[in-house]
Amino acid sequence: MSIKVKTEQSFLVVNLEGEIDHHNASKIRLELDKKISETDKKKLILNFEDVSFMDSSGIGLIIGRYKIMKNLKGEIYATNLSKELYRIFDISGLFRLIKHYDTVEQCKKTES
Amino acid sequence: MYTNEITLILSCKSENEGLARMCISGFLMKLDPTIEELNDIKTALSEGVTNAIIHGYEQKEGEVILKCRIEGRKVYIEIKDKGVGIENIEQATTPMYTSKPQLERSGMGFTIMETFMDDLEIISNKESGTIIRMHKTLCNTSE
Repeated sequence: MSIKVKTEQSFLVVNLEGEIDHHNASKIRLELDKKISETDKKKLILNFEDVSFMDSSGIGLIIGRYKIMKNLKGEIYATNLSKELYRIFDISGLFRLIKHYDTVEQCKKTES
Repeated sequence: MYTNEITLILSCKSENEGLARMCISGFLMKLDPTIEELNDIKTALSEGVTNAIIHGYEQKEGEVILKCRIEGRKVYIEIKDKGVGIENIEQATTPMYTSKPQLERSGMGFTIMETFMDDLEIISNKESGTIIRMHKTLCNTSE
Protein backbone atom coordinates (compact mmCIF):
# COMPACT_ATOMS: atom_id res chain seq x y z
CA MET A 1 0.00 0.00 0.00
CA SER A 2 1.34 3.41 -0.88
CA ILE A 3 0.14 6.89 -1.68
CA LYS A 4 1.30 9.31 -4.34
CA VAL A 5 0.54 12.96 -3.89
CA LYS A 6 0.61 15.91 -6.24
CA THR A 7 -0.72 19.42 -6.13
CA GLU A 8 -2.58 20.84 -9.12
CA GLN A 9 -4.18 24.30 -9.09
CA SER A 10 -6.24 24.44 -5.89
CA PHE A 11 -6.22 20.64 -5.49
CA LEU A 12 -4.25 18.15 -3.48
CA VAL A 13 -4.57 14.95 -5.51
CA VAL A 14 -3.85 11.73 -3.63
CA ASN A 15 -3.53 8.46 -5.53
CA LEU A 16 -4.21 5.57 -3.18
CA GLU A 17 -2.80 2.21 -4.21
CA GLY A 18 -3.35 -1.38 -3.07
CA GLU A 19 -5.52 -2.66 -0.25
CA ILE A 20 -7.09 -0.37 2.35
CA ASP A 21 -7.70 -2.42 5.47
CA HIS A 22 -7.07 -1.82 9.18
CA HIS A 23 -3.38 -2.71 8.81
CA ASN A 24 -2.73 -0.27 5.97
CA ALA A 25 -5.15 2.46 7.06
CA SER A 26 -2.95 3.61 9.95
CA LYS A 27 0.04 4.09 7.62
CA ILE A 28 -2.04 5.92 5.00
CA ARG A 29 -3.54 8.13 7.72
CA LEU A 30 -0.10 9.29 8.93
CA GLU A 31 1.18 10.03 5.42
CA LEU A 32 -2.02 11.69 4.29
CA ASP A 33 -2.31 13.94 7.35
CA LYS A 34 1.30 15.03 6.90
CA LYS A 35 0.61 16.00 3.27
CA ILE A 36 -2.58 17.85 4.23
CA SER A 37 -0.72 19.85 6.89
CA GLU A 38 2.14 20.68 4.50
CA THR A 39 -0.01 22.22 1.79
CA ASP A 40 -2.30 25.23 1.61
CA LYS A 41 -4.57 23.48 -0.92
CA LYS A 42 -8.10 23.20 0.41
CA LYS A 43 -9.54 20.71 -2.07
CA LEU A 44 -8.55 17.11 -1.44
CA ILE A 45 -9.15 14.53 -4.16
CA LEU A 46 -8.84 10.91 -3.09
CA ASN A 47 -8.31 8.87 -6.24
CA PHE A 48 -9.23 5.19 -5.81
CA GLU A 49 -8.26 4.05 -9.31
CA ASP A 50 -5.52 1.70 -8.07
CA VAL A 51 -7.26 0.48 -4.91
CA SER A 52 -7.91 -3.26 -5.21
CA PHE A 53 -9.69 -3.75 -1.88
CA MET A 54 -11.29 -1.67 0.85
CA ASP A 55 -13.21 -2.63 3.99
CA SER A 56 -14.78 -0.55 6.77
CA SER A 57 -11.36 0.63 7.94
CA GLY A 58 -11.31 2.67 4.74
CA ILE A 59 -14.66 4.23 5.68
CA GLY A 60 -13.19 5.34 9.02
CA LEU A 61 -10.17 6.74 7.23
CA ILE A 62 -12.29 8.75 4.78
CA ILE A 63 -14.64 10.11 7.47
CA GLY A 64 -11.60 11.17 9.51
CA ARG A 65 -10.14 13.10 6.54
CA TYR A 66 -13.58 14.59 5.81
CA LYS A 67 -13.59 16.02 9.34
CA ILE A 68 -10.07 17.42 8.93
CA MET A 69 -10.95 19.10 5.61
CA LYS A 70 -14.17 20.47 7.10
CA ASN A 71 -12.19 22.01 9.98
CA LEU A 72 -9.87 23.60 7.42
CA LYS A 73 -12.94 24.90 5.59
CA GLY A 74 -11.93 22.70 2.67
CA GLU A 75 -13.55 20.06 0.48
CA ILE A 76 -12.97 16.37 -0.13
CA TYR A 77 -13.83 14.36 -3.25
CA ALA A 78 -13.58 10.71 -4.31
CA THR A 79 -12.75 9.62 -7.86
CA ASN A 80 -12.54 6.38 -9.84
CA LEU A 81 -14.63 4.17 -7.56
CA SER A 82 -14.88 0.56 -8.70
CA LYS A 83 -18.20 -1.26 -8.46
CA GLU A 84 -17.06 -2.88 -5.20
CA LEU A 85 -15.94 0.40 -3.64
CA TYR A 86 -19.08 2.16 -4.78
CA ARG A 87 -21.11 -0.41 -2.83
CA ILE A 88 -19.09 0.18 0.37
CA PHE A 89 -19.51 3.98 -0.02
CA ASP A 90 -23.22 3.52 -0.63
CA ILE A 91 -23.91 1.20 2.34
CA SER A 92 -21.98 3.41 4.74
CA GLY A 93 -23.66 6.65 3.65
CA LEU A 94 -20.36 8.23 2.56
CA PHE A 95 -22.02 9.81 -0.48
CA ARG A 96 -23.92 12.08 1.91
CA LEU A 97 -20.59 13.59 2.97
CA ILE A 98 -18.44 13.28 -0.11
CA LYS A 99 -19.02 14.08 -3.77
CA HIS A 100 -17.66 11.57 -6.25
CA TYR A 101 -16.56 11.78 -9.87
CA ASP A 102 -15.62 9.21 -12.49
CA THR A 103 -12.17 10.71 -13.04
CA VAL A 104 -9.76 13.17 -11.43
CA GLU A 105 -9.97 15.38 -14.55
CA GLN A 106 -13.75 15.53 -14.33
CA CYS A 107 -13.58 16.46 -10.65
CA LYS A 108 -11.04 19.23 -11.25
CA LYS A 109 -13.02 20.62 -14.16
CA THR A 110 -16.27 20.77 -12.20
CA GLU A 111 -14.91 21.89 -8.84
CA SER A 112 -12.28 24.47 -9.80
CA MET B 1 -21.07 -33.15 -3.15
CA TYR B 2 -17.66 -31.51 -2.98
CA THR B 3 -16.54 -30.64 0.55
CA ASN B 4 -13.33 -29.19 1.91
CA GLU B 5 -12.23 -27.39 5.05
CA ILE B 6 -9.36 -25.21 6.16
CA THR B 7 -8.42 -23.87 9.60
CA LEU B 8 -5.99 -21.00 10.07
CA ILE B 9 -4.64 -19.93 13.44
CA LEU B 10 -3.52 -16.33 13.17
CA SER B 11 -1.51 -14.34 15.69
CA CYS B 12 -3.16 -11.11 16.70
CA LYS B 13 -1.26 -8.94 14.22
CA SER B 14 -2.89 -6.54 11.79
CA GLU B 15 -0.75 -7.77 8.88
CA ASN B 16 -2.56 -11.11 9.17
CA GLU B 17 -5.79 -9.47 7.95
CA GLY B 18 -4.41 -9.42 4.42
CA LEU B 19 -2.95 -12.89 4.82
CA ALA B 20 -6.36 -14.26 5.90
CA ARG B 21 -8.00 -12.73 2.80
CA MET B 22 -5.32 -14.17 0.55
CA CYS B 23 -5.49 -17.70 2.05
CA ILE B 24 -9.29 -17.89 1.89
CA SER B 25 -9.34 -16.49 -1.68
CA GLY B 26 -6.92 -19.22 -2.70
CA PHE B 27 -8.97 -21.87 -0.89
CA LEU B 28 -12.17 -20.78 -2.69
CA MET B 29 -10.61 -20.73 -6.20
CA LYS B 30 -11.71 -24.33 -6.75
CA LEU B 31 -15.33 -23.06 -6.72
CA ASP B 32 -14.59 -20.52 -9.44
CA PRO B 33 -16.52 -17.71 -7.69
CA THR B 34 -17.41 -14.51 -9.53
CA ILE B 35 -15.25 -11.46 -8.76
CA GLU B 36 -18.17 -9.96 -6.85
CA GLU B 37 -18.77 -13.08 -4.76
CA LEU B 38 -15.10 -13.36 -3.89
CA ASN B 39 -14.91 -9.67 -3.00
CA ASP B 40 -18.01 -9.99 -0.76
CA ILE B 41 -16.51 -12.90 1.14
CA LYS B 42 -13.07 -11.23 1.40
CA THR B 43 -14.62 -8.03 2.75
CA ALA B 44 -16.84 -9.80 5.32
CA LEU B 45 -13.91 -11.95 6.40
CA SER B 46 -11.67 -8.91 6.74
CA GLU B 47 -14.26 -7.24 8.98
CA GLY B 48 -14.48 -10.31 11.22
CA VAL B 49 -10.73 -10.79 11.60
CA THR B 50 -10.22 -7.05 12.19
CA ASN B 51 -12.93 -7.12 14.89
CA ALA B 52 -11.17 -10.00 16.66
CA ILE B 53 -7.85 -8.13 16.61
CA ILE B 54 -9.08 -4.65 17.54
CA HIS B 55 -12.01 -5.41 19.83
CA GLY B 56 -11.52 -9.03 20.98
CA TYR B 57 -7.84 -8.74 21.84
CA GLU B 58 -7.57 -4.93 21.86
CA GLN B 59 -4.49 -5.31 19.64
CA LYS B 60 -2.61 -7.30 22.29
CA GLU B 61 -1.73 -11.01 22.31
CA GLY B 62 -4.05 -13.78 21.24
CA GLU B 63 -5.04 -16.20 18.51
CA VAL B 64 -7.69 -15.69 15.88
CA ILE B 65 -9.03 -19.04 14.69
CA LEU B 66 -10.44 -18.86 11.21
CA LYS B 67 -12.31 -21.80 9.70
CA CYS B 68 -13.65 -22.01 6.19
CA ARG B 69 -15.75 -24.92 4.97
CA ILE B 70 -17.04 -25.62 1.51
CA GLU B 71 -20.14 -27.78 1.02
CA GLY B 72 -21.04 -27.89 -2.64
CA ARG B 73 -21.59 -24.20 -3.54
CA LYS B 74 -22.00 -23.14 0.10
CA VAL B 75 -19.16 -21.34 1.85
CA TYR B 76 -19.16 -21.30 5.66
CA ILE B 77 -16.83 -19.05 7.61
CA GLU B 78 -16.18 -19.04 11.33
CA ILE B 79 -13.98 -16.49 13.10
CA LYS B 80 -13.25 -17.17 16.73
CA ASP B 81 -11.32 -15.25 19.36
CA LYS B 82 -10.81 -15.80 23.06
CA GLY B 83 -10.83 -12.10 23.81
CA VAL B 84 -12.98 -9.79 25.90
CA GLY B 85 -16.31 -10.65 24.26
CA ILE B 86 -19.08 -8.27 23.19
CA GLU B 87 -21.13 -6.92 26.08
CA ASN B 88 -24.07 -5.70 24.00
CA ILE B 89 -24.45 -7.42 20.62
CA GLU B 90 -27.45 -5.32 19.61
CA GLN B 91 -25.47 -2.13 20.13
CA ALA B 92 -22.38 -3.55 18.40
CA THR B 93 -24.37 -4.44 15.30
CA THR B 94 -26.06 -1.03 15.02
CA PRO B 95 -24.78 0.73 11.88
CA MET B 96 -22.28 3.52 12.69
CA TYR B 97 -21.94 2.46 16.34
CA THR B 98 -18.34 1.99 17.43
CA SER B 99 -16.80 1.48 20.85
CA LYS B 100 -13.51 2.79 19.46
CA PRO B 101 -14.14 6.13 17.70
CA GLN B 102 -10.65 7.28 18.77
CA LEU B 103 -9.23 4.66 16.38
CA GLU B 104 -11.36 6.07 13.54
CA ARG B 105 -13.44 2.92 13.37
CA SER B 106 -16.54 3.47 11.26
CA GLY B 107 -18.90 1.13 13.11
CA MET B 108 -19.87 -0.52 9.83
CA GLY B 109 -18.16 -3.90 10.28
CA PHE B 110 -21.19 -5.99 11.24
CA THR B 111 -23.42 -4.15 8.74
CA ILE B 112 -20.98 -5.08 5.97
CA MET B 113 -20.81 -8.71 7.13
CA GLU B 114 -24.63 -8.87 7.18
CA THR B 115 -24.98 -7.22 3.77
CA PHE B 116 -22.25 -9.11 1.94
CA MET B 117 -23.07 -12.59 3.27
CA ASP B 118 -26.35 -14.58 3.28
CA ASP B 119 -26.47 -14.82 7.06
CA LEU B 120 -24.54 -13.85 10.15
CA GLU B 121 -24.52 -15.32 13.65
CA ILE B 122 -22.70 -13.80 16.63
CA ILE B 123 -22.07 -15.75 19.79
CA SER B 124 -20.25 -13.84 22.47
CA ASN B 125 -19.68 -13.71 26.19
CA LYS B 126 -17.12 -12.26 28.55
CA GLU B 127 -15.71 -15.63 29.64
CA SER B 128 -14.98 -17.26 26.32
CA GLY B 129 -14.75 -14.49 23.70
CA THR B 130 -16.55 -14.19 20.38
CA ILE B 131 -17.52 -16.51 17.55
CA ILE B 132 -18.78 -15.07 14.27
CA ARG B 133 -20.36 -17.49 11.80
CA MET B 134 -21.50 -16.52 8.34
CA HIS B 135 -22.32 -18.28 5.12
CA LYS B 136 -22.83 -17.49 1.47
CA THR B 137 -24.14 -19.69 -1.32
CA LEU B 138 -22.34 -19.06 -4.59
CA CYS B 139 -24.22 -19.01 -7.85
CA ASN B 140 -24.01 -22.13 -9.96
CA THR B 141 -21.41 -21.64 -12.67
CA SER B 142 -22.73 -24.50 -14.82
CA GLU B 143 -26.11 -22.80 -15.27
